[in-house]
Amino acid sequence: MFIQMKNFSVVASYAQMFQEGLVVTILLSLFTVVFGFVLALALVLMRMSSFRPFLWLAHVSPGVFGFFERDGSGMKRDSGFVYHLGRFNPLSFLATAYVEILRSTPVLVQIMIIYFGVFQFIDLPSFKLFGFIRFNRFFPGVVALGMNSGAYLCEIIRSGVQSIDGGQSEAARSLGLRQSQNFQYIILPQALKNILPAIANEFVVIIKESAITYTIGVQDIMAAVQAVKGATSIIMEPLLVATALYFCLCFPTSKIIAYFERRMSRGDKR
Amino acid sequence: MATRDSLIQVTDLKKHYNRGAIKALDGVTVDINRGDVMVVIGPSGSGKSTFLRSLNLLEDPTSGSIVFDGVDITKRKYKDSQGKMVKVNIDQHRQKMGMVFQHFNLFPHMTILDNMTLAPIKVKGQDRAAAEEKALALLDRVGLKDRAGAYPIQLSGGQKQRVAIVRALAMEPEVMLFDEPTSALDPEMVGEVLDVMKGLAREGMTMVVVTHEMGFAREVGNRVLFMADGLLLEEGTPQAIFETPQHPRLKDFLSKVL
Repeated sequence: MFIQMKNFSVVASYAQMFQEGLVVTILLSLFTVVFGFVLALALVLMRMSSFRPFLWLAHVSPGVFGFFERDGSGMKRDSGFVYHLGRFNPLSFLATAYVEILRSTPVLVQIMIIYFGVFQFIDLPSFKLFGFIRFNRFFPGVVALGMNSGAYLCEIIRSGVQSIDGGQSEAARSLGLRQSQNFQYIILPQALKNILPAIANEFVVIIKESAITYTIGVQDIMAAVQAVKGATSIIMEPLLVATALYFCLCFPTSKIIAYFERRMSRGDKR
Repeated sequence: MATRDSLIQVTDLKKHYNRGAIKALDGVTVDINRGDVMVVIGPSGSGKSTFLRSLNLLEDPTSGSIVFDGVDITKRKYKDSQGKMVKVNIDQHRQKMGMVFQHFNLFPHMTILDNMTLAPIKVKGQDRAAAEEKALALLDRVGLKDRAGAYPIQLSGGQKQRVAIVRALAMEPEVMLFDEPTSALDPEMVGEVLDVMKGLAREGMTMVVVTHEMGFAREVGNRVLFMADGLLLEEGTPQAIFETPQHPRLKDFLSKVL
C-alpha cells in the first residue's frame, strides 16, 4: 500500500518538530492578523480621507485664479483639469496603488522580495523566541504575510464601510459629529459587524497561507514535513499529519468566529 | 415679519449637476426668521429636499450664500467680530441645526438612550449623567421613556421618528429641519409624529419643513413656500397659498393634492 502505518511511526519520531511547527504557525498567523488589520485600517483611512492638497486651486478667491475656479456663468466647475486636480488625493492614490499591486502579484513572490530584497539590508537579531523560533526568519514572514493580508483586509473593511447606508453619516454629521467621530462611533462598529464573516475567512486564509513561509526557512508545520521528507524520503504520511493539523486549526477557528457573529447580531433582532 | 429677527438668509442658492445640465436649485432667495414655521411644498423633483439639505451643507451648493447666525457657511472663512479671519467650522453650525430625515436614520447598533446621548456627550462634552437625564426627559415628552433601553429595530416607524426628533432636540438646536418626516410612515402613524411637530411649533421653535402634508402646512405653518423646477415660485401665508394661489403651477399642484 502507498500509505503505510509503519511510516507514521517514523513520522512520530519527528513529533517535536511538528509540535514546534504548530506553535510557529499559530503565532505567525496571530501576529500577521494583528499587523495586517492595523495596516488595513491605516489603508482604509488613507483611501477614505479627504486630504486634497490641491483643493485651494478650486477655492482661491475669484479674480486671482477665478478663471480656473468658475466657468463663464459664475458656477463652480464640476469638470475639467483644475477640478480633477483639486479632487486629487495623494494618500488615497498611494493606498489604492498599494492594494492593487499586492493583490495582483503572487504571495510567494512578495515573500521572496521581502526576505531576499528588503531584509537583506536590515540586520535582524538572530535570537530564538521560546528557544526554537528563529526570529530573523519569523519576522520577515510576519511582515510579508501581513503586508499581503493588509491589502485584502483593506478591501474587506472598505466594502463594509461602503455597505453602511449614507443616511447614517448624514445623521451623525448633522448632529455635529466630526468626520472622525462619525467613523469611530457610527460607521466602523456597524461595518465591522457586517464584515465579520469575511474577516474570519481572511484569518483562516492566513493560517493556510502561512505554509508558504517555509520557503524562507520559517520552521512551521510545512517545514517539519520537508524535514521528514529530506531525512527519510517519506512524503505522504507527514503530509497527512500536516493536513490534520491545519484542519484542526482552521475548522474550529471559523466555528468560534461564527459563534461571536451570532452574539453580535443580537441587537438586530426582536 | 420684518419686525422679527432673521436667523438664516439664503441668497441666490444654486445647485447644479453635470455642468448645469441638471439644475436641482436654480437661484433660491429666502429669509428664515426666528420662530418661523416655514413649510416647503412642491412636486417631487422640485428641489425642495435639495434646498433643505443645503441649509446644513449636506449638499454643497454650486453658488449662492447661506448666512446662518451672521456667518456665511458656504464660504471657507469669515470675519469674526474682531475682524479676524476665522475658518468656518461646519460641525459647529450643524450642532445648532437639528435635522430629521425621511428614513429616521437612527443608529441601529445603539440603544435609544445611546442614540440620544452620543452627540451631547461627544460633541458638546456633557457628562453622561446629565445627558441621560435630559434625554429621558425628552423621551418622556414624546411618550417613549419606557423604550430608552430598546434598540431602534424594536420600535415602530412612528416611534422611530419621534426618537429622531428628540435626538435632534437633545443638541438644543436653534432651528429644526424636517425632510419629509412622515413620508416613510404607515398612515396611522403620521398623526403621532405631526403632533410632536405641532408641539414644537407652539413652543416657538424655528422650523423648516419639507412635507406633503397639506393639512400640516395649513394648520401649523406661518409661511408656505411653493417650489418647482429648482425655483421658488410662490411664497405666502397658508391662507394666501391655499385659498388664493397665483402661479399656474401652484394652482395645478394644489388641484392634484387637495
